[in-house]
Amino acid sequence: MNPMKFLAAAFLIVGAVPLANAQDTKPAVVVPSAPQMSHGEYVARAGDCVACHSVPNGKAFAGGLKMGSPVGAIYSTNITPDKETGIGDYTFDDFDRALRRGIAKDGHRLYPAMPYPSYAKLNDDDMHALYDFFLKEVAPVKQANMKNEIPAWLSFRWPLAIWDAVFAPSGKYVPQSNHDAEWNRGAYLVESLGHCGACHTPRGIAFQEKALDDSSTAYLSGANLDGWSAANLRGDLRTGLGQWAKEDVAEFLKTGHNRDGAVFGSMIDVINNSTPYLSDDDVTAVAAYIKSLAPAENQPAYVYDASTTTALNSARATEPGAATYAGTCAACHGNDGKGFAPYLPRLAGNPTVLDKDPASLINLVLNGAAPLVVKGAPDAYRMPQFRGQLNDEQIADVVSFIRNGWGNGAGAVTAKQVADLRKTTDPTSDQVTVLKMR
Amino acid sequence: MVNITVNGTQHQVDLEPDTPLLWVIRDAVGLTGTKFGCGIAQCGACTVHVNGQAMRSCSVPIGALEGATVTTIEGLSTDSKHPVQQAWLAEDVPQCGYCQSGQIMATVAFLKQNPNPTDADIDNNITNICRCGTYERLRRAIHRAADLMKA
Amino acid sequence: MDGNRIMPNTSRRSFIVTAATVAGGFAVGIGPLSRLAKAAVVGVQPWDTDAHNANEIDAWIAIDPDDSVLIRYQRSEMGQGSMTAVPMMLVEELQCDWSKVRIEYASPNRNLREKKVYGDMFSNGSRTIKGSQVKVQQVGASARERLIAVAATRWNVAPTECSVKNGVVTHTASGRSFRYGELAPDAAKVKLDKEPAIKTPDQYTFIGTPMPRMDVPHKINGAAKFGIDAQIPDMVYAAINASPVPGGKLKSVDESVLANAPGILKVVKLDNAVAVVATGSYWRAKQALAKLQPEWDTNGAGGIDSAQLSKDFHDALDGPMQSARNTGDVDQAIKGAAKTIEAVYETPYLSHSPMEPMNATVHLQADRLDVWVGTQDALDATEAAAKASGLEEENVYIHNAFVGGGFGRRDASDEIIQAIQVAKVVQKPVKLIWTREEDTRQDKFRPHAVVRFKAAVDKDGMPTAWDIRVVTSSILNSVGRVIPGMKGPEPMAVAGLSNNGYTIPNQRVQASIKNTHLPVWFWRAPGANQHTYAIESFLDEIAAASNLDPYQLRRKLLADKPDWVKVLDLAAEKGDWGKPLPKGTGRGIAICEDTGSLCAQVAEVTVSAKGDVKVNRVTVALDTRIQVNPLSIAEQAEGSVIFGLSAALYGKITVKNGVPVQGNFDTYRMVRLAEAPRIDVHLMPSGGKLWGGAGEPAVPPIGGAVANAIFAATGKRIRSFPIMDHDLSGSA
Ligand code: FES
Ligand code: FES
Repeated sequence: MNPMKFLAAAFLIVGAVPLANAQDTKPAVVVPSAPQMSHGEYVARAGDCVACHSVPNGKAFAGGLKMGSPVGAIYSTNITPDKETGIGDYTFDDFDRALRRGIAKDGHRLYPAMPYPSYAKLNDDDMHALYDFFLKEVAPVKQANMKNEIPAWLSFRWPLAIWDAVFAPSGKYVPQSNHDAEWNRGAYLVESLGHCGACHTPRGIAFQEKALDDSSTAYLSGANLDGWSAANLRGDLRTGLGQWAKEDVAEFLKTGHNRDGAVFGSMIDVINNSTPYLSDDDVTAVAAYIKSLAPAENQPAYVYDASTTTALNSARATEPGAATYAGTCAACHGNDGKGFAPYLPRLAGNPTVLDKDPASLINLVLNGAAPLVVKGAPDAYRMPQFRGQLNDEQIADVVSFIRNGWGNGAGAVTAKQVADLRKTTDPTSDQVTVLKMR
Repeated sequence: MVNITVNGTQHQVDLEPDTPLLWVIRDAVGLTGTKFGCGIAQCGACTVHVNGQAMRSCSVPIGALEGATVTTIEGLSTDSKHPVQQAWLAEDVPQCGYCQSGQIMATVAFLKQNPNPTDADIDNNITNICRCGTYERLRRAIHRAADLMKA
Repeated sequence: MDGNRIMPNTSRRSFIVTAATVAGGFAVGIGPLSRLAKAAVVGVQPWDTDAHNANEIDAWIAIDPDDSVLIRYQRSEMGQGSMTAVPMMLVEELQCDWSKVRIEYASPNRNLREKKVYGDMFSNGSRTIKGSQVKVQQVGASARERLIAVAATRWNVAPTECSVKNGVVTHTASGRSFRYGELAPDAAKVKLDKEPAIKTPDQYTFIGTPMPRMDVPHKINGAAKFGIDAQIPDMVYAAINASPVPGGKLKSVDESVLANAPGILKVVKLDNAVAVVATGSYWRAKQALAKLQPEWDTNGAGGIDSAQLSKDFHDALDGPMQSARNTGDVDQAIKGAAKTIEAVYETPYLSHSPMEPMNATVHLQADRLDVWVGTQDALDATEAAAKASGLEEENVYIHNAFVGGGFGRRDASDEIIQAIQVAKVVQKPVKLIWTREEDTRQDKFRPHAVVRFKAAVDKDGMPTAWDIRVVTSSILNSVGRVIPGMKGPEPMAVAGLSNNGYTIPNQRVQASIKNTHLPVWFWRAPGANQHTYAIESFLDEIAAASNLDPYQLRRKLLADKPDWVKVLDLAAEKGDWGKPLPKGTGRGIAICEDTGSLCAQVAEVTVSAKGDVKVNRVTVALDTRIQVNPLSIAEQAEGSVIFGLSAALYGKITVKNGVPVQGNFDTYRMVRLAEAPRIDVHLMPSGGKLWGGAGEPAVPPIGGAVANAIFAATGKRIRSFPIMDHDLSGSA
């Protein structure tokens, strides 16, 4: 039979095994049939303890992750129930004191990289469950803690007592009666376990979060951290999540994707290890709370402007970055800047692009995005790195082009900004590593 | 189920929605002229036209393509008479040939947007990798194709 | 595979599904340009469809009644053009009409069954032409004589009274003639008393004519079938991860994470790898594979990183060495020298990265194995496949495809072995494809090398001695074969160094082999591809120290080798050597002998104030001694320059915790159009008895030419590759 004829005659169905929900255009997320999670494990998931207290390919919760801080490198500690090197001899009170007040069993004060100001808000139920999880469910690992790399003259820990006295609240989360239960649950998760503010709230001169709850518009209004701009989660129409519906927030937390594209930067750790494991109700609660945050600024809504597309389509775009965009970016993000939701981010109107701080956009171009792994399923697409292919001017030009194209109006960036970030950041690895909780 | 038209023929695709168009074309539709080189939009071997625009099919999810019209190298012409193909023949461009479907598809879309390209335009827009290093002839062929298309 | 795909009724020899494409007959794309009207053709599926043809004269040639001539090509086509050039050599003798020639791959299986009738079947070391020449000329001449013999017998005249031209035998006196098609059936039966003599190069009339390659028309419409394009009924797809630390073993893998993944057939655990097999699309297998988090036993190599390896290699410079060349008395000359110059050069591991990632499609049955693959060595593939399957070699059928880039990588058959191992488990035809990351990281790499030079120069600044010590890894060790009777280090370890053309009275070249956990392999112009850069740069250092023009210094040192000087002169002349250049722009020159050919290059490079390097222009002079198809030789030279340039500017594989760091093209950068210089190739075949290669000799000089041009532009000496690792800002 002539194959051409066959093709022309038939309305072909191609592909192999029909999916159960074949109509659904959402990604087929594969959920490994995990054994029932204990309450404590759930709390540990919500707190994303594993992300900081494990290293890739290391044993779960054995610590050793290097974290930069303004005063030097800090290593996370072993929180397995090993008696010698971990927290095996912690009583509940020891554990509670460490989490809420940042004071270890031996009395030394923890660096505030450990978000105890947030954990202070935990309720007792969750605290007990968490204690049980770490002491009874987690396997003990004998692994000595690493020495922090903080200059001796800075490493006296007693100033931390002062820091704590000034900045760390001590109260547990108190439900607000003017909000419903869902909102309060969301607030509890965000402000305490989720410790979202640790990244998303700007810090003051003493490295303290400027606000720990929504009483201030500084709270979750975005911050620069490790070369990334942790997004403004408030309702700002252009630079915040004002454009997202509650469902968009929830989808993002569940899958790392939504109509704006995909997660990147250190938030990948959160999606890889934490939020997709939360119940639908909890995710919705978080979304409800986030959506309730008033904008920090009054911003005009983003409006798509097709003139960039037209110019690109007819090779008439003359901005210095346009050519690089056409040759390097358009193949995935399109001349129209619309990408392919929910996999390949749109650049037109994307809050990350509109962000006042261009760090994330520059960082993404320089270093690419680390592989996202949602419940063990690696993401289909990833942003490659371009640090080896484009020089500082080229990146500055193309980032400026993107920030100004399609009505984005976010302003240009300089080659110096790129050069600085190039120096202080590392390329991501394309290799998938899943942190295991057991 | 996603409906797409490939080279004029309609297909219903019943694969996971995150499946890249590349694998739909190669494994499900059965057209192998579109090549896999990198899978991350770096090499261009997989370039096809989606609704008239050159896209790297390894990085276009089928789930986002409902109703799209796709042209692959096989659909460019029935007789290899497209001016770009003719220019390629005349300059004897391909070596191993593996990248060339993508080079040609990228060039066709590019010349549509920019019928009078300078060398610099070509350099900036045709970013496909050719490991055999056919760039010298490639550049000449693009200019020749532009001339042929005007004639 | 889905039931709704189109399956032709085929014998099991041609399992390939004809895709629903314009991929039609042989004439696709031929016609519009007059020079192409003369072209021979090849099928879009180049592999043997049927091992025998009814109108065979012998295993190489079949002539149909319509005078079309089928020629079997016994090596590989990976873009180097030999699938056109080798039949050209045959046709030179056969004297048939080139436009009626059809070419397909010779069957490796038949080669085994019929006493190696095709001889060797590899394409490597730029030896396809020179290694085939005598044989295929003989085949062509023999067939011609047999055709003449049939005609002569029919006319009852002496064969010497007949002449041939364009596929027609003519009795000169009477003017009577027969077409080959009329004679072929009987010619197959003729036994010649003695084989005719073959033409010598001075008698060639067809060899040396630029001919368009016959595979090109299939490579502009997507029709050409590469190994990755094979489609077998009921075929499943496999993706594979071998131990990220080379040499490691699979310890364990938790497959439960794939419980709900769509279309997954099987997780196959191999000794050093894990594969996932899926139905419907390769994508499913690839995605599922990425979900697995296998644990590996890294065999103690898990802690190794590049800095350590580099230090080990440098340290070994002072250790014991094997001698590759020792002329004169180096130590004495250095002792008495007016001046000595020393430098150490380092070149990193590199991946081959052919555009088509490694892949193989296998159909394993109880008594027969079919493999569709692009291989540079079909006989090695047969041997490897037989071993892996447990079948006799004569039951293994390798169907060679168009090769999407080889560069040496497809001399190994590891992907074939993996595919067979997987097929054994799943009991279905399997198409196994490596991801790009796998292709880069599981490569057998171009070796890392450290070379230390010490030269003595006299009062005129001319070198009188040099002492060269190299530390690198053994390719033969990776191959697992030894060269019988080999004395001293293996040739690849010192290629480009010990065979340098310079007349320097005292020369000593020694090597120390240091093998690491990274397997190393032949990489386009093995040894020479890296050592030529080192030696040509070092010579430039001598020129600079002696205040001599680098071109003139080379000229003097090559004074007793006129063929070298000619090549050097041509490159210098065409490359505008000595003409003024703007500030920040410089020219560099380099020359080498590789695979019997001579190649000199002049590169013109601009270095910006910010330190960006742009190679503007490269002039190539190439002497392959004899040339069969100048068009493909020029193309090979152009491609070689780009290939070498990617290595010089960007290429490096580093390791961290034993694992190769670079994976895809975002981290393993290639030259693209924007960085591609203008390349002018000047061919200057000097003739003679030697046949030089064409696929490789233009690779070695480019790195040195560019590094020397950077020195000319900036005064900065590049003593290690890649160039992108050097900060050249503010130097121009
Ligand atoms: S395979 Fe799509 S760009 Fe390389
Ligand atoms: S022709 Fe071989 S990769 Fe371009």
